[in-house]
Amino acid sequence: MEWIRVLLSRVASLFRRRRLDAELDEELHAHIELAIAENLRNGISPDQARTAALRALGGVTQTRETYRVQRGLPWLEQIARDVRFGLRQLAKSPGFTLTAILTLMIGLGANTAVFSLINALLLRPLPVPHAEELAVLHIDRSDDQDGPSYDFSAPVVRALEKRQDVFQNIAGFTWDDFQIRGSSGNVEVIGAEVSGQFFSVMEARPLLGRLLTPQDDQPGGTAGGFPVVISESFWRTWFNRTPDVLGRRITIDNAPFTIVGVMPKGFIGADSMRPAQIYAPLAAGPVIDAPYDNITAGVWWLSVIARRRQGVSLEQANAALRATAGSLLDEAVPDAEWIKDAREHHFQLAAESGSTGYTYLRARFRKPIIAVFWLCTAMLLLACLNLASLLMARSAARERELATRLAMGATRRRLVQQLLVESMIIATLGTAAGLLLAPFVNHALVAYVLANSHGATLDVDLDLRVLVFVALAGIISTVAVGLIPALRATSGNLNEQIKSGSLTASSREHRSTLPRILLGLEVALALMLVFGAGLLATSLTRLYRVGLGFDPRGVVNIDLDMYKQSLAGEALVHWYQTYGDALRHLPGVGSVSFAQITPLGGEFITHSFRTPLSGGDRTVHINLIAPDYFQTMRIPILGGRDFRWSDTLASGRKIILNQSAARELFPGQNPLGQQIRSSRGPLEVIAVAGDTHYESLRENSPPAVYYSITQNPNMKQSSYTAVVRTEGSPASLADFVRALTTRMAPDIPAPIMTKMSSVLDASISSERMMAMLAVFFAVCALLVTAIGLYGTLAYATARRTSEIGIRIALGAQRVQVVAMVFRENAWIAAGGSLLGLVIALLASRALASFLYGTSVRDPWVLVASVAALTFIASAASLIPAIRAARIEPITALRLE
Amino acid sequence: MGENKADVLQGTLDLMVLKTLESMGPLHGYGIARRIEQVSGDALSLNQGTIYPALLRLEQRGWVKSEWGLSETNRRAKFYSLSRTGRKQIARETENWERTAATMARFLAPSSSASN
Repeated sequence: MEWIRVLLSRVASLFRRRRLDAELDEELHAHIELAIAENLRNGISPDQARTAALRALGGVTQTRETYRVQRGLPWLEQIARDVRFGLRQLAKSPGFTLTAILTLMIGLGANTAVFSLINALLLRPLPVPHAEELAVLHIDRSDDQDGPSYDFSAPVVRALEKRQDVFQNIAGFTWDDFQIRGSSGNVEVIGAEVSGQFFSVMEARPLLGRLLTPQDDQPGGTAGGFPVVISESFWRTWFNRTPDVLGRRITIDNAPFTIVGVMPKGFIGADSMRPAQIYAPLAAGPVIDAPYDNITAGVWWLSVIARRRQGVSLEQANAALRATAGSLLDEAVPDAEWIKDAREHHFQLAAESGSTGYTYLRARFRKPIIAVFWLCTAMLLLACLNLASLLMARSAARERELATRLAMGATRRRLVQQLLVESMIIATLGTAAGLLLAPFVNHALVAYVLANSHGATLDVDLDLRVLVFVALAGIISTVAVGLIPALRATSGNLNEQIKSGSLTASSREHRSTLPRILLGLEVALALMLVFGAGLLATSLTRLYRVGLGFDPRGVVNIDLDMYKQSLAGEALVHWYQTYGDALRHLPGVGSVSFAQITPLGGEFITHSFRTPLSGGDRTVHINLIAPDYFQTMRIPILGGRDFRWSDTLASGRKIILNQSAARELFPGQNPLGQQIRSSRGPLEVIAVAGDTHYESLRENSPPAVYYSITQNPNMKQSSYTAVVRTEGSPASLADFVRALTTRMAPDIPAPIMTKMSSVLDASISSERMMAMLAVFFAVCALLVTAIGLYGTLAYATARRTSEIGIRIALGAQRVQVVAMVFRENAWIAAGGSLLGLVIALLASRALASFLYGTSVRDPWVLVASVAALTFIASAASLIPAIRAARIEPITALRLE
Repeated sequence: MGENKADVLQGTLDLMVLKTLESMGPLHGYGIARRIEQVSGDALSLNQGTIYPALLRLEQRGWVKSEWGLSETNRRAKFYSLSRTGRKQIARETENWERTAATMARFLAPSSSASN
């Protein structure tokens, strides 16, 4: 404990330095006075007495110095001195300092932003006790092209609930938009349907009331409707935190529910990106989703999360799941055909770590975000290399200063520490600037990730993990930037450094290969970044230029949620027609139609058809549309006629094929007027329309069959999306739609309006995110490399001023001088480019899965990247070279 | 100045200061330095200044207290005195020192007695 006391007293003394100094001085004065008095008493003459007293003390200054060392924290004071000195040094060359801080800011800021995204999306555990015991289940099938499936059907979940050998508890859950009856119509909030053991899996405790239990998860519910548990924020916003909320009735999707509990603030459920406001039992699903019943229909739509028993490893859980997968299928899937198909494709259940819960966006963004992270790391590395070579060039210019200090007795350790403190200042300022930049980058990245994901949130706040990452990145960059230059600068031969003047060239300059290697690596890295960015950008432009088959510009989608209102059947069709007519009369609106599925939203329906000519079943995409759809979307009708509002079920069911479907179903024939058999009677082909992309840009235009919404035999409360072609940008459209909807369907939630062009952007958001960032980094890399090449060459040339002056005096041509200086960098640029090219070609395969219609060895991109780099490198090297050629021999030699 | 004066052995100054304070009671830095010189019979070459870092070290450890008072020449001076832990520490330090001295003595004793 004694050392704590000593440390505290030393630290305390740092803050009262001045007073303590004064006290020591007074004490020493007293000492000398006492000594003089004694000497005088002993008969020594007055002037001798003072000298003797001082000699006996051994020097006031020395005493003061050793006393101070004992009193404070010498190393801390030394570092403080170094920091002050370093700041002065940096302030002397503001251009260098600013460049250094800016490059580090970009590197560290981007890294921090992307890491906090990775943290939020992939690393942060759910805020529940012992999150490491959680497991998320998935299904492996040999015919899965997009990785494992995380979707389970309700009967499978029910069957899993019964098997509790390796899992303590297991639960299915899904999120859903709940329509809550408020004071002014229905409002949509994010809700979750969870099976009975969900809250046991999460080991959650309620803030108020109770949790949902397996007894709540029974078909039919209780007299007061199903029980629900609400979130703290729902309790706050809807009930103003009133404690008597328990037992209150709440209307969800027109059905009564009873609130039995409130969850604490930190509880976010099992999907961190969609924290639910309301948790309802899974058995209430048919009530909430009416008129649909996913449970009876056997839809695969539930995610499954489980808590392992203590001592059961993930491997053991997996083994147990493999053993039960077969019997589970027989128990939970009624369709024998389906089971047979599943067995053929090696249907298998598997568990993976579930500490971070499950969110579907993770599967989609894991690869792009990790790729982006590597981009950022390359950028940071490049910034560090650049700074290291600039520092090296700078410390070469400071050689004389350092050599003098070494000669005067400074230890090498002391000088290295001092130089490291300088780079630490740069790194600290760069990190701080990066932390300021990070939220902006983060904001942009999150917008990309969440585009198209209605209701999702991503908490990218800085937590401890991110801060540790930032600190580590900062420290590593300090060392990477500072250590090599510091060691090199202090390693030279003392004599030689002092002998040679600061302005004379020395032969050492030509021997230094290390800075050239660093610069060469920087060029290589820059080329890789530029090449990668070129590939991603080319792929993106090809995606944009791909023929959509329709014209998205000016089209606005209006999502109408009609499931919960009272109209159905023909009355509802009539409602849509009236709604469309009203919209069409708004100035600036060209045409209006409706569709069940709008293109590029990721959704699709398929169905199999066969004709005598088709040669077996043909899978085609399906859509339900209203009249004028083709006109609104500007899809050409290549023959036949459009649907009409007067086409009803009674007038015979009509369909329209797209070109591909016509080719597949009626090869070599005119499909117009032909009939296709279906389980609900014959369908007559009345027209052929142009092909369009359907669910995404990456998928080719599929064969498609269009039905009319006027002839939908499942005359339930179908919800369609209104598609509106606008001219110009009718500002009043949103207000008009809101007012019109409130007037015509007061019950439904406010419709969500999206521009078709933003749907298009959102559908390729991960591609756009990668391409934008890659291009941004590539531009930065080019700029930084240019600064590096320019800076080091300028320093080196400045040191050769007199040598060049002599050369010119001896008759060297100016052009020769330019060539001589230029050559220094030309070798670096050429070598670095070659290395970068080799690595880029080897590494570009990693990008293959992100590219569309672009080869990883696209020769044009390759040539363009090399050209860009060559141009930048030449421009950066020419300036010092030309400046060198302008040297006047007389001035140069006079400097000597 | 005598040529045969011994330098103060590392670590022994602390014990000398503590011992001095124990026998003399509160004393200022000059007094302590003079007392040590006198007790050692002027056989030690003591830079009087080194007494101050030593006093500070002891004060930081809590073995010595200090307060300002008036010296014999009627000047403000800092007076040092032993604290309670300092008093206890003397016993421990003395024991340590005696053990070291005894060990050294055994090494330096005539080889005949050391051989068996």
